[in-house]
Amino acid sequence: MLQTFRQSMAWLHTWFGLVLGFVLMAVFFFGSLSVFDREIDRWALPETRFEPQPMPSYDNLLADIFAGMEAEEEELEAARKRIGGELPAQLQPTGWGAYTTHRDPVLDVFAEYSVPNPKDPFDHAHGHLTLDPRIGAILPHDSLKIGSEFFYPLHYSLHIEWKQLGTWIVGVAALIMLVALVSGVIIHRRLFRELFTFRPGKRTQRSSLDLHNLTGVVALPFHFIFALSGLTIFAFLYLPVGETVLTTPVQAHLMEEAVSRGLPFEPAGEAAAIASVDAMMVEAKKRWAERGMPGEVGFLWVTHPGDRNSFVSIFRAGSDRVAFVGQGVHFDAVSGRVLYEEPPPTVIAGINEFLTGLHLQHFEHWPLRWLYLLGGLLGCTCIATGFIFFTEKRKRNLNDATLVRWVDALAVTAVTGMLVATGAILVANRLLPAELPHRSGWEQTVFWMAWLLTLAHALWRGRAVSGCLSPAWREQCWAIALLAVTAVALNWITTGDHLLKTVLTDRYWPVAGFDLALLASAAIALRTAFMLRTRERAAARIEHKELLAMEVARG
Amino acid sequence: MKASALTPLHILSRVGAALLGGYCFVWGVTTLGIVLATALGMSFSEARTLFYLLAFLLFTAVFCWAFAAASHGRAWLVLAGGGAAMTLLGWLLAH
Repeated sequence: MLQTFRQSMAWLHTWFGLVLGFVLMAVFFFGSLSVFDREIDRWALPETRFEPQPMPSYDNLLADIFAGMEAEEEELEAARKRIGGELPAQLQPTGWGAYTTHRDPVLDVFAEYSVPNPKDPFDHAHGHLTLDPRIGAILPHDSLKIGSEFFYPLHYSLHIEWKQLGTWIVGVAALIMLVALVSGVIIHRRLFRELFTFRPGKRTQRSSLDLHNLTGVVALPFHFIFALSGLTIFAFLYLPVGETVLTTPVQAHLMEEAVSRGLPFEPAGEAAAIASVDAMMVEAKKRWAERGMPGEVGFLWVTHPGDRNSFVSIFRAGSDRVAFVGQGVHFDAVSGRVLYEEPPPTVIAGINEFLTGLHLQHFEHWPLRWLYLLGGLLGCTCIATGFIFFTEKRKRNLNDATLVRWVDALAVTAVTGMLVATGAILVANRLLPAELPHRSGWEQTVFWMAWLLTLAHALWRGRAVSGCLSPAWREQCWAIALLAVTAVALNWITTGDHLLKTVLTDRYWPVAGFDLALLASAAIALRTAFMLRTRERAAARIEHKELLAMEVARG
Repeated sequence: MKASALTPLHILSRVGAALLGGYCFVWGVTTLGIVLATALGMSFSEARTLFYLLAFLLFTAVFCWAFAAASHGRAWLVLAGGGAAMTLLGWLLAH
């Protein structure tokens, strides 16, 4: 497009990086928080602060829970709209499932019900609940798991659910991340030197570029692999060739593959009692041990429950390896015998499972988990310094004043504003009364409103002075520190779990770790605010001297 | 830099070629690739996984190329035209 290849790549890097950088910032930050989503859930839901539990007994506990489940009211409402009429009083369940990991005290339980719909024979509605598997108690429906139900989906969908638009936007952002890494390498070439170059004493423009290059290069493989595996995880959504241009041949292939497994495709329509699922879990564990990979049950799914053609699929929890694998064993639900045991993956499937597992990190390895967080935060630093370099470079050009003002305000919103919103939802979680109707909705409203307020604040306080950041950065740093400390204090006041207790007397790392992380964030925000104030004052003194000199010269 | 010589329409065309044309090209490669791989005896799931793994590496490459190509007309022709042709060929072979 421009005269040389490198100039074209620089253009690409600058403008696409800028526009999608605002999305990438949120994707990187909430992805980093998702590394500890289960721990954030414990912080937000004090009644779930106990040790992780294995999959409970099906025969004695889950069977009754599933039988008592119903589709959620919103799901039924949506289904009525789809079929344009009333639903039968009792919907037929088509599947029951339960899911846990090595970090989950509570169990996620799902049910799927068929919806009679002539347009889509596979139409169904969902039910969902969270269970204390020790006693079978059901958690209140209106409680928000801030880590796994708010921050994590924000990471890949931005909570824009209409036509999965949010996931498409994140997909474009991930592609641009790959493009930015490739074009960034082409622009710079001297990769090794960038690793050792950071001159914080130089002008903001220079030192922000140093840090941009350093963080970009030092975590380059991490960023590349995560953007790529994020895209392949959602490839079924982005490239549904099998469901569009190739529907007919693909349906035939899939049917053939399903038949070769011997798993019934359709219900028989005849009722039949289910055999002991606990015995099936024992058998599955025995088979995994025989294959040299003993493990726990992570995911359990009953297809066509209550039907003669029902089958039970039992998948292994992948706590001990990177690859995201299930080693599924499928049982005939009525006789309890094994129908099909999934073979070891092929080379291609193995690569895919490794990449997926690397991204989703279900494995149990705490130092690596912290390194993931570090990698994600390095990505945030890289994007944030990119914004600062962009605005600093253009501040002296008066033609760019409007652009600089907007980019700076958006950068403040995307960086410090995002942290203010995060602090706000945590404070709201501890402050809103437990009996408030739609409490989880209110928590989310507080998050988005706080974020919107930071944009208004950034636009109001923004000004383009070369070498000196807008005061909005400093002021929002104060807000971050205040909110983080308040959240820790409120956790203490409302639950009695202060740090002395969670670290020393009654150790509970999920909550202690998150409290400590909040305090560390507050300390960093405070230090940043003080440094920015010092710089602003120094800049103001220089400005003052220049004004004096001008007046003296004028006489 | 001659960035100022670029008209907004030209920039828009390049961006379109990179995003939409690139998407079309990747779609074509995925479709045709799956059809050819299954014809050669690979299972459908295996073939789909293989091309899903390659798709976004390819998208990154063609996206960058759309900005490096000599003219935006050529970028559109190769990416959108090539993608449509591969999709059609894949569809014809599969049916």
